[in-house]
Amino acid sequence: MKSKITTIMMVLLAAFITLGGTTSCKSKKRLAREAAEAEYKSKVEQAVKDLNAILDDETLWTLEEKEARVKTIKDWNLQNAEVDDLLFQVEKKLARERAQKEEEERNKQEAQSANATLERNFASIARSGSVSQANRTINETLGLFESPNVPVLIIINQSAGFNDYDRPTTIEKYLNYLKDQKISPNKVHEIKYNANGKINELELIKK
Amino acid sequence: MKIARNIILLALTFAFVWPVAGQTIGDFKMNETELYAMTKQMGQFMRRFNYEEDQFGEKLNPKDPKYRNNEMRRKSLPILFDQQKYGKQTDLQRYFIEDVTKDDSTYMTFLGGRWYSEVSCTFRFNGKPVNISLILAIEKEGLGSKWVLTNVYFSDFNKLFPNGEIAEREKHFLHPMSHELDFMNIYKAFQNPEVIEYYASKEFQPDYLTLFFYEIKQGRLVFQHVDSVKFHVFQIKDWYFEVSWFDRSGLNSGWLMSNVIYMPEKEKNNLIKFYQP
Amino acid sequence: MKKIIATLVIALCVVGSAMAQDELSYERKQAIDSLALEKVRDLSKYIKIVGSKETPFSEANRVIDRAEELFMSDAEIGVSSLGSNQITYYRVRKYFEHLMRLNYDRVEIEWYNIEYVSDLQRQPDGTYVGVITIFQTFRGYDKEGNLTYKDTTKKDITVYVKRKETQIGGRTIGFWDVLLGDMRVKETTNR
Repeated sequence: MKSKITTIMMVLLAAFITLGGTTSCKSKKRLAREAAEAEYKSKVEQAVKDLNAILDDETLWTLEEKEARVKTIKDWNLQNAEVDDLLFQVEKKLARERAQKEEEERNKQEAQSANATLERNFASIARSGSVSQANRTINETLGLFESPNVPVLIIINQSAGFNDYDRPTTIEKYLNYLKDQKISPNKVHEIKYNANGKINELELIKK
Repeated sequence: MKIARNIILLALTFAFVWPVAGQTIGDFKMNETELYAMTKQMGQFMRRFNYEEDQFGEKLNPKDPKYRNNEMRRKSLPILFDQQKYGKQTDLQRYFIEDVTKDDSTYMTFLGGRWYSEVSCTFRFNGKPVNISLILAIEKEGLGSKWVLTNVYFSDFNKLFPNGEIAEREKHFLHPMSHELDFMNIYKAFQNPEVIEYYASKEFQPDYLTLFFYEIKQGRLVFQHVDSVKFHVFQIKDWYFEVSWFDRSGLNSGWLMSNVIYMPEKEKNNLIKFYQP
Repeated sequence: MKKIIATLVIALCVVGSAMAQDELSYERKQAIDSLALEKVRDLSKYIKIVGSKETPFSEANRVIDRAEELFMSDAEIGVSSLGSNQITYYRVRKYFEHLMRLNYDRVEIEWYNIEYVSDLQRQPDGTYVGVITIFQTFRGYDKEGNLTYKDTTKKDITVYVKRKETQIGGRTIGFWDVLLGDMRVKETTNR
């Protein structure tokens, strides 16, 4: 409460000096002071409202929008204890959200690179110039899997919210299929891993 | 609106130009146009008849305005005739096309009944090769359908039951008081096996399929192989036609209409009795 | 009473799903057609691999195993040549072994780009049946590189499509089981 009064006093003083230098009309000075006071008050109210909303997860803002909001509020430099306290809590919360998001993005990138590796190997097996070359890539690819019998599901059609599959096969059979048919007709849809980071289920979808 | 229609009509005019396609393998050039043109399956005959696929053999979506389009059918139906027989468009062929593409147009359907397959086979009968035609029809059953035997044509069977002269028929009967004599005269019926059926009711119709099964079960009739297949179609109102397989080069091959006959429904019902007694 | 209602609800669900299967959408039918066609293309590739004189014996045998897996266990291949109605019947394995042993120095097996897929019809037990037609040319050469035999054949291949379910990773996966059935191989004058 004390700091709030000090802030108001300082703002008023600043307004007084500024206005005092440009006009001699007292009523004008008073009007300006009142306007400044009202603006300050509304900013504080807005800040408290927004920060609480962020804390209680009641906004539809993205992480980036929330971070931008916090930056704007900090830039106002309101010097209000309640706002400062809320800012502290919100920044703690957003830092965690940021970390989580970065983790997810890293995972996504890793998954994408796993997808890319598999798809690259599939294409390479299909394009192999010789049986022995294809067999080498097959063995290399099998190393990414828990066993040669890991199930491979192939989605042939998605409609009305459910998937139609081809008859399930195994990764070993699938890789040999690519070698024989010399085409790679499917792309990776989903990969599941075991605790050791080996693939234990693979879902493909028609290109 | 009119312009749009004219554009569509113009597009339709060019509908039955076969895709010219080929591939070269080693020294050999393979011409695929003929294979596109060939009506490769009886099912394709039906789809072309109804215009349910385009000239590339691509199935049309039932929502497609071209699907079962009568304008298209008028263009596509002539290619389904055996053009060696119906080369010049005859009046009969024209009327046929006119009738099936009328506003209340008729289509051929797989499960629509009134179409039969005639499978000409070689059997051995008492050791000698003989030709027998099996008649089959699609019958709905359970969740789907199947082909079933409806009749059989074997000339030896038909010779057993000739349409005898009326004068001759009238000589063979058991008089109405025979019962009073404990049918002592019935032995006469069996003295002349060729005409034994004259002693049957006038409703009597020989059942050739039963005879056929009997001979098979007796082991006297033994299947050898299928020689040819053709179809008899009665689905189209007032028309009957046959569809036969033509293995030849050119743009008119595969399953084609080999015999088209204008046949009022009443007459047709009599003919159907042969296929499905 | 509750029990009866529950039973009715389950019964209705079963009927509902059976009916849903009856009327496949155009898009789903198309997906099944492509799947069936893919199996036939797989078969064509296997025929080419086994027919090729450059394929090592062990590879050819492995491919025959895979080709056999495409077919129903009782499928037969009926072969006839021009001017004869006699059909020679082969089991799938015998057909491939026959192909592997053909006495040419070099063979060319090629497929036309024409593939015709029939409508799928249901048989009494509900399984869908279709026929896919493809065309093949075969050329056999002797040691001097002379063409000693050639033919073009029309191959009509039965395709059975059945809806099945299996458990994978604790999930129920509904899939279309596509198996090839009898295949009619007929020499044709069209080429």
